[in-house]
Amino acid sequence: MQPIISGLLIFTLLYLVADILVKANSFGLFSSAIKLTLFGDEEEFIEPLSQASFLEFIHTEIFFIMMILLTLSAIYARVSRKKSFSLWIINAVLLSSLVSLIALAISYYFDPLLMNLYVITFFLWHILAFYMATYSLWSLHFAKSI
Amino acid sequence: MQKAYKFSILYFLLFSLMLLASSILIFNEKIGFSLQSVLEYYQGNEDKFIAAKSTSGILKIILPHIFAFGLFIMVILHFTVFTKSRNSQVFHFIIYAAFILGLLELFTPLLIIQGFVFFAYVKIVVFFLFEFLMLYLFWILFKSIVYD
Repeated sequence: MQPIISGLLIFTLLYLVADILVKANSFGLFSSAIKLTLFGDEEEFIEPLSQASFLEFIHTEIFFIMMILLTLSAIYARVSRKKSFSLWIINAVLLSSLVSLIALAISYYFDPLLMNLYVITFFLWHILAFYMATYSLWSLHFAKSI
Repeated sequence: MQKAYKFSILYFLLFSLMLLASSILIFNEKIGFSLQSVLEYYQGNEDKFIAAKSTSGILKIILPHIFAFGLFIMVILHFTVFTKSRNSQVFHFIIYAAFILGLLELFTPLLIIQGFVFFAYVKIVVFFLFEFLMLYLFWILFKSIVYD
């Protein structure tokens, strides 16, 4: 089972890195770039993102995030030694990812001020997920017994 | 069940609710819930300059959804196996219903563009039935995690 889970964890790490790189080159990583993508800029002739495109984007994001974090949480919960600490990490990663999606939707529909919350929670869940994947990999290969 | 798994599933349910909500919004925004709007979206309307959808265009949309529907339904149903409802006769019916509704939801557009107007009704009805069935499964899971 170890090589199978290791393979999945490596792919998860690659996804997390690729997600940041793709967003840096398309959607935007920070508040100003994301605002430009969502709301456009008349002076620079940049069209705003249509509601249909935004919904398709967030729909896909929800699916990928929920599947990846559910799988990762299940592995991390299994290999983690400090159960109470792992519970905090699992709650933090899932809650921050959930908040990031809600903050993005609210930013688009109601209040762009929540964009900063989206950026913070986006990076938070990526960092936590990266930690969970690397810790799980380390536990699978170097921990004495699980 | 470990506490960590319970939390993971509860969050998964919240994500699933958001997924259903976003699917309703997309359906409303892109297609619309009336028979006329479904027919216009797939068969086109010259007066409104709406182009008819092609088979390859529909296949491009349903291709990722085939995998996503299968995986999503499997994950939700597999969680419900750990609940008390697993042995009921209704649960067996729900398993088949979930996959059949998913299939109909995905493939009715191919029949609509062939001119079968009846399947526009089917598309709308199946969409809501699927959503309600998923909500019912979420409720079973939620109840099991919180109360059992």
